[in-house]
Amino acid sequence: MADFLSNYSIQKWLESCPQGYLEDTVYGHGADEREPEELLKNEQFREAQIRTTVQLIAGERCALAASSGLINAAPDAASKTFLATQTLDEGRHVEIFTQRLFDLGIAQDDLESTIKTYINPNLGKFAEVLLEKVDKKDFVAGVVGQNIVLEGMAFSVFEMLHATSSDMNPKFAHTLAGTIADERRHVGFGENRIGELIRRYPEKKPEIERMQRDMTKHMLATFHDSFAASPLAAASPSVAPGARKSAGTYQGLNLAEASNEEMEGALSSVVLNEFKTRLGRIGLEYQSPV
Amino acid sequence: MSNQSNPHELGDADFHSTVHSFEFWFEAVEGYLHGRPYGVSPSTKDVELDERQREGLITTLCNYCVGETAALEASSGMIRFAPDRHAKIFLSTQVVDEGRHLEVLLHRMAQLGVAEPEAEIEKRANRSLLKFKDRLLDFVDARDWEASVLAQNVILECLEFTVFRHHSGTADPVTADMLRGIVSDERRHMGFGENDLGRRLLMAPHTHDRLHKIKRELDTLVLDTFEETLGELGVDRAERPDLAGDYLAAVARLGFRS
Repeated sequence: MADFLSNYSIQKWLESCPQGYLEDTVYGHGADEREPEELLKNEQFREAQIRTTVQLIAGERCALAASSGLINAAPDAASKTFLATQTLDEGRHVEIFTQRLFDLGIAQDDLESTIKTYINPNLGKFAEVLLEKVDKKDFVAGVVGQNIVLEGMAFSVFEMLHATSSDMNPKFAHTLAGTIADERRHVGFGENRIGELIRRYPEKKPEIERMQRDMTKHMLATFHDSFAASPLAAASPSVAPGARKSAGTYQGLNLAEASNEEMEGALSSVVLNEFKTRLGRIGLEYQSPV
Repeated sequence: MSNQSNPHELGDADFHSTVHSFEFWFEAVEGYLHGRPYGVSPSTKDVELDERQREGLITTLCNYCVGETAALEASSGMIRFAPDRHAKIFLSTQVVDEGRHLEVLLHRMAQLGVAEPEAEIEKRANRSLLKFKDRLLDFVDARDWEASVLAQNVILECLEFTVFRHHSGTADPVTADMLRGIVSDERRHMGFGENDLGRRLLMAPHTHDRLHKIKRELDTLVLDTFEETLGELGVDRAERPDLAGDYLAAVARLGFRS
């Protein structure tokens, strides 16, 4: 275990993250990169982008509360120091997505009211399930909820948003690339650290599987609402109308032609397959909410 | 990463969004952490310690680990009830600083041949410091923001700042180099405590009495910690540095006189 945890040290994190892929970035993107003018001028698309970004901030606020809250419950110094790096990663994500709202024209004083207006209530319920485990200082359930379920979902959502924005909105794509690299590290820690703890405490399995089922239910409801709420932007969330024709592909779907239902189906399928694979690796069986 | 202009030239709102940000943290630490694995320059040569020196240093490092673990657990616990997003972001940078301190201290202990650091810490930990840690985490568990900032970002940080600064002047070259990096972080953490509590005391002067009562209680534990630690290290009374005086002066500079 010591060798595996040494790969998640703060020293390694410093070298690979702030001194690595974040070098020469400002709020996660290049200093000269901007939101596309066409997007900022089209009120419907701008609002769709605000709605999407609010969900990202809500998810990252939950991740910040969870990762910092788990430090006190971590059983050893190496897990505490890894969670310290994750706490700052999540704090950075909150910061860069908040900055994106400002770049989209939200005034600083309107930040909280904007979040309140656009946040999906199902995402709030998703966070409540996880934070209940964190509040109880349940390290094993908390890390599964945080580093497998929440991070697994975030990872897939960021990849989809990255695919849809890489050609048309390099600034947002660049921002997402850094967060994807962070999430990959977080998921890796969850899989490696928790597998061993699940084997040691098999009696915790039913409770953790219940938590995963509840979180999955709220996640799928969030996806459904999000795609239904942004009919024009959901299938191609980061680009302006004229640009959709040249948007790329995601999971074999042509983004210029895919319907919202097809996009929702593709994203849900990717995330659920991720869950099944990652939960299997730590000795848990995926529980369907249906 | 961007270059920040002098933040003290900014207005209040811009000052907080600049200083309490990942960007600002990174620019602050990059200068003294880049190319310094585990906080020590590769050109710094380690020296041979005799057994008494080695034992004394291990005991000291064990107690530093208690302090840094307390700071890590407290700063991470405070994020949940921090009053605004700037404070949350600042605390998340402090969490990684405290985690780094713990990591470099454990790394130094491994270099000194300590195979089971956690068992060693339990054996050598100072009782007053453990009591201090319990009190600090009581404030955090109670979600008492003002008491937590006072105990963590004023008192504990001043304690560490005082001790590490003194120790870096007398320690072996590797330990001294490592401690200087930690002291640079502590200055930033103390700045946050001074700024946050200073503004709160201006707006609500009645909280002053409550915080002073807490300070008096914690001061006793801090001063006992100094006595116990120096005693355990076998430092002759006549030769002991005036850690208590320096600590009280550092706290007073932040606006908390005895």
